Amino acid sequence: MTVVSAFLVPGSPLPYLRPDNPPWRPIAEGYEAAAQRLKASDPDVVIAYSTQWIAVLDALWQTRGRVQGVHVDENWHDLGDLPFDLAVDTPLAMACVAGCRSIGVNAKSVDYDDFPIDTGTIVMSALLNKQRTPLVITANNLYHDPAATERLAKLAVDQAASQGKRVALVGIGALSGSIFRDEIDIATDKIRDAADDAWNRRMLDLMVAGAVDELRQCAPAFAQEARADMGFKHFFWLLGGLGGGFAGAKLHAYGPVYGSGAAIVELIPS
Amino acid sequence: MKQGEIIAGFLAPHPPHLVYGENPPQNEPRSEGGWEPLRWAYERARRSLERLKPDVLLVHSPHWQTQLGHHFLGVSKLSGKSVDPIFPNLFRYSFSLDVDVELAEACCREAQAAGLTAKMMRNPKFRVDYGTITTLHMMRPQWDIPVVGISANNSPYYLTTKEGLEEMDRLGKATRRAIERTGRRAVVLASNTLCHYHFHEEPAIPEDMSCEHPQSYAGYKWDMRMLDLMRSGKTREMFEILPQFIDEAFAEVKSGAFTWMFAAMGYPQIPGELHGYGTVIGTGNAVVEWNLVDRGLATAA
Repeated sequence: MTVVSAFLVPGSPLPYLRPDNPPWRPIAEGYEAAAQRLKASDPDVVIAYSTQWIAVLDALWQTRGRVQGVHVDENWHDLGDLPFDLAVDTPLAMACVAGCRSIGVNAKSVDYDDFPIDTGTIVMSALLNKQRTPLVITANNLYHDPAATERLAKLAVDQAASQGKRVALVGIGALSGSIFRDEIDIATDKIRDAADDAWNRRMLDLMVAGAVDELRQCAPAFAQEARADMGFKHFFWLLGGLGGGFAGAKLHAYGPVYGSGAAIVELIPS
Repeated sequence: MKQGEIIAGFLAPHPPHLVYGENPPQNEPRSEGGWEPLRWAYERARRSLERLKPDVLLVHSPHWQTQLGHHFLGVSKLSGKSVDPIFPNLFRYSFSLDVDVELAEACCREAQAAGLTAKMMRNPKFRVDYGTITTLHMMRPQWDIPVVGISANNSPYYLTTKEGLEEMDRLGKATRRAIERTGRRAVVLASNTLCHYHFHEEPAIPEDMSCEHPQSYAGYKWDMRMLDLMRSGKTREMFEILPQFIDEAFAEVKSGAFTWMFAAMGYPQIPGELHGYGTVIGTGNAVVEWNLVDRGLATAA
């Protein structure tokens, strides 16, 4: 089995920068639990897709072997810095770039000093991938639909399989996307809309039940009605890498992040 | 203190290709040129800016997108290397800029007084976005005029276009009040492309101009219609059809900089001077100046 573990996690820096804030503590603790599960799965590589790494041309894959720096979030610059030091599985990332041609997608490697690593990837790396398993990270091309995103994930997992590597698959992104647009007391944070909360819980229940067909059916409405982050493509990334289905899921945490929905979900490979 | 005023506004788009084509020492990648008509347009804009002698340049950039309010650069000196996440092969630019923090704080206060959520950015490690840097470099490569950098709140995308642009209108008017109260002679820069339909593949040689043309004929016609209104000073008519332009040409002016700039200038019914138009990976880009001094709406230096 190539995929030994799979996780849906949020990319907001808030639970990372303020883990003691009561409404965000469950997400921070959920990340702790998921990190232990990821470590226990003993992967050779973490293959991650972040909704916050935006691309408009090509599929981009980070290929620089070590990426270091300090990022300051565009929105939450007042809450602190986001230092990062990422190890990248360059051979596998290069294989993904080369393999994209086979699925009809143009791809490019990204190998530059000071390339801006996105907040979501940094947060996931710090909270989930604590043992610094080498990464393969790819961008969210705004013009790729869920089906194309699934194909990219399948390609990445297939390339890992051909290199004999065990994969932890990660989709980084939020659930519902309605946010508070004015300053709030963060101690009172909650899911902004009751309808969003209901949508989030419905989708999470379906994940726990492994109801893939229903999830596929509901996803477009979820994306539209609950403003799901980037059309929920990070979930389709996971589906694609898991061969189109999974046996069920463990919900490690669910909660608000400035009104939006966030969850730590471990999908159980079939 | 003498009352400050806005002396000019420029539509000053930010394709990093223009910096790449120019080969300034701050940018790592080297090119064989490319996009000359647009770069020559900026040369004319630079000469005009030199004559205007502003105290400060204010720029509103869609590539510093914020969700919680409108943010203002608030650190007196910011430096670093800006790598474009979309075109890292073209734009890896070492920047160092001076911020007019007093004016930025005044803008922030006025925006709050206008009922907007507004916030200062005080983190010295903040990396300035490539839209801000490209517009400022193309307008003033000497980097010797202090700047105020303003984020693009995502309201036109999160709310309706109309609601979002109403926020940008209020932000522009607040910016004007701050300029007047702080006594600055200011130039406002809208860092926006027009039609934003673009190609999805880059030529093997990015500056191969045999591959450069409008991606969309309909989008091109929209750009010409808008430029005609700009050149003839029909500002009211232009803003009446702006929402339709945004919808049909996928225009980047949706992000708010253009509305912010015109609101700050008081929507003058004066002709804009078109310095040049050209496409970059198929998108429509125009460098246009509204010189309020020449039109008697502001005082000469």
